[in-house]
Amino acid sequence: MTALEKQPEAPAAGEPLVVLDGVNKWFGKLHVLQDINISIKRGEVVVVIGPSGSGKSTLCRAINRLETIDQGSIALDGDPLPQEGKALAALRADVGMVFQSFNLFAHKTILENVTLGPIKVRKKPKAEAEAKARELLDRVGVGVQAEKYPAQLSGGQQQRVAIARALAMEPKVMLFDEPTSALDPEMIKEVLDVMVSLAKGGMTMIVVTHEMGFARTAADRVIFMSDGAIVEENTPHEFFTNPQSARAKDFLGKILKH
Amino acid sequence: MEAVLDNIGLVGWAFAHTVLLFLFSGVLSLLLGTFLVALRVGPVVVLQRAAATYVTVVRNTPLLIILMFFQFAAPKLGVTFNFIDVQWGEVSMTSFFGAAVVSLSLYTSTFVCEALRSGVNSVPLGQAEAARAIGLSFGGVMSQVVLPQAYRASVPPLASVQIALLKNTTVAGVFGVMEALARMRILTNNFTGQKIGIFLAFAIVFVVLVEVLSFLASRLERRWRIA
Amino acid sequence: MRLIRTKAAFAAAALAFSLAACGEAGNDDEGKDLEGKEDAAASFEDGTRMKELAEAGSVTIGHKTDQPGVGFLAAGDDAPTGFDIEIAKILAAELGIDSADIKWVETISDNREPFLKEGENGKVDLVLASYSITDERRAEVGQAGPYMETGQQLLVKSDSDIDDVADVKGKEVCSVTGSTSLEQIEAQGAKPVGFEAYSDCVEKVLDGTVEAMTTDGTILMGYAAQNEGELKVVGEEFSEERIGVGYSLNNPEMCQFINDTLEKAFEDGSWEEAFTSTLGKSGVETPEPPAVDECPAA
Repeated sequence: MTALEKQPEAPAAGEPLVVLDGVNKWFGKLHVLQDINISIKRGEVVVVIGPSGSGKSTLCRAINRLETIDQGSIALDGDPLPQEGKALAALRADVGMVFQSFNLFAHKTILENVTLGPIKVRKKPKAEAEAKARELLDRVGVGVQAEKYPAQLSGGQQQRVAIARALAMEPKVMLFDEPTSALDPEMIKEVLDVMVSLAKGGMTMIVVTHEMGFARTAADRVIFMSDGAIVEENTPHEFFTNPQSARAKDFLGKILKH
Repeated sequence: MEAVLDNIGLVGWAFAHTVLLFLFSGVLSLLLGTFLVALRVGPVVVLQRAAATYVTVVRNTPLLIILMFFQFAAPKLGVTFNFIDVQWGEVSMTSFFGAAVVSLSLYTSTFVCEALRSGVNSVPLGQAEAARAIGLSFGGVMSQVVLPQAYRASVPPLASVQIALLKNTTVAGVFGVMEALARMRILTNNFTGQKIGIFLAFAIVFVVLVEVLSFLASRLERRWRIA
Repeated sequence: MRLIRTKAAFAAAALAFSLAACGEAGNDDEGKDLEGKEDAAASFEDGTRMKELAEAGSVTIGHKTDQPGVGFLAAGDDAPTGFDIEIAKILAAELGIDSADIKWVETISDNREPFLKEGENGKVDLVLASYSITDERRAEVGQAGPYMETGQQLLVKSDSDIDDVADVKGKEVCSVTGSTSLEQIEAQGAKPVGFEAYSDCVEKVLDGTVEAMTTDGTILMGYAAQNEGELKVVGEEFSEERIGVGYSLNNPEMCQFINDTLEKAFEDGSWEEAFTSTLGKSGVETPEPPAVDECPAA
């Protein structure tokens, strides 16, 4: 078992970690999340797929409250999401987030990007944070780039740094919001490889993606969303071989042809 | 020109007043401007509005009126700076110096705020989201991620604001501070025949001071651009 | 709140101004207008500037607007008032010009020479603007007279311990930025504090920020009279200011005319009248008229 696959807390598998209950959200008149109920168990890897505009990114962002919700509740590890302030910041520290556009801090080196959270939020000594950061950067294969700035790295390298940055916080759950959509095709694999090894290590993951390959190999469950609602939910094998709804069939038909 | 050279000591001390006015007001305006921009982009609506109102009112008020307020109206309301009394060589920092620094700082801070706000707006939203996502508080997001990048983006406009401040210090010359303009007017009054030379000499010193500022700003800009 | 306070400040300033106007120029006695002498033009030789002015029937005179009793223009008034103004009217009358036909132009300390030097005959023909005679200035423009001698004194609060210029060493003393007075008080060892106008300094003395202000005694007396019981003029005159009439060096013949007219006014009582109707109202005794300088050889 590599360090990357090691989990900060011994997972008590099977117990619900993230629970969304009757979540609704509107952007003006647009009903972007429609009565969402999901329960994600510790150690589970859930892939959310669906056509663009289906609300899957909004769902992902709502889980660490980068988007607010209008109705319903979201609970993490048994506690409802705090509204504001320190409690919310503490919650976010426990939820790792990887963005489509990487969002590495442009003015900080790769190493500083990874150590900022541990030092400022977790209050770890600098030396300890740096040692841990270098270890994580080695694991994702960008250890030699530690002293560079984000703009000097390729997209794939940046996204792997972003994963290391999230992992440095020792999160309970990792959210991936289309992590490979902004990447050139030749870089997608290096990022997916890291994600697969994370999944195998038992990390609880919620992944919004179009990468069906990843869903097949790594997911425990696939959630298919369309027009803000969950249309279908199944194991990857069942979902890909035997989709139930017309919309899922239609979507898979378009995706898998190419 | 002769008049300036013959009185070079007095002229030097006058520019010492000018530079000190600038340094104190410059630092205070940067601090206050940063505080204002934090309020303006912060999450508390009341503070956003308060800061926006402050910026609108003070920025749209002529500097002269702000100085008049602190020199003539504030004392009647019990606000004075009489506790300030520092003498360094021929530099006299008293209530007039204090009132000038306060006026210049309050006035310039609104421009600093707006320059920084344009800088903050130029920082991609994703930077703040990523900072929030690792659990930084609002203060942490601002101080660790947004403001450092905003400052980098704001160096050119901030330099303009500070250059304007340097020149605005001359207003203090008619509010009790013996800075460059006040000294120049004594010289032009005294050496009527050398007016043009005196004007030129003082203008040249100001040009040199502004050039030094511009140079520092461009150095900073270049250093931060690599980063 | 800030706005309201600023408004209050403005109201206070406006009030101070209107008080100044009342104190100086009671409506009944604004100094009297003079009629131009009959056939004045005939008395001047051809080719002189005096003849040109007399024939034109108009003269342009630069004056101050911020010195009560000396050269002052109240807000809203058309014509200035003060001792300088009365002397100007006497000079104009001698040129055959009615006081009503004088063109008044405000001059400040910095633009007196440029105004006299502009163009062939100057933007102004004469400057009577508490214009101290100095060698530096005489190199640039003509200065006839003097028509008044005064000296720098101190204006302090009535209960102040300051008696003399020796008492202000190391203390802040206010005067107009760039003025000779400010430089001289600096030379006396005081810390110079410059403001835009004398009235600003008066306010700073009244609010206690500075302990004293300084300029010509004549001007200070005007303010002391305005703020009776609150302010007093103290100390011996510690400088000599000789107030003269500025003219363009292109017209050197003006000097003798001005000096003759001034001397005539010293003798016939019109100079004294000018004084008593302006500065004299603050209760000062009329001083002896000064002796005029000889005009430079043409």
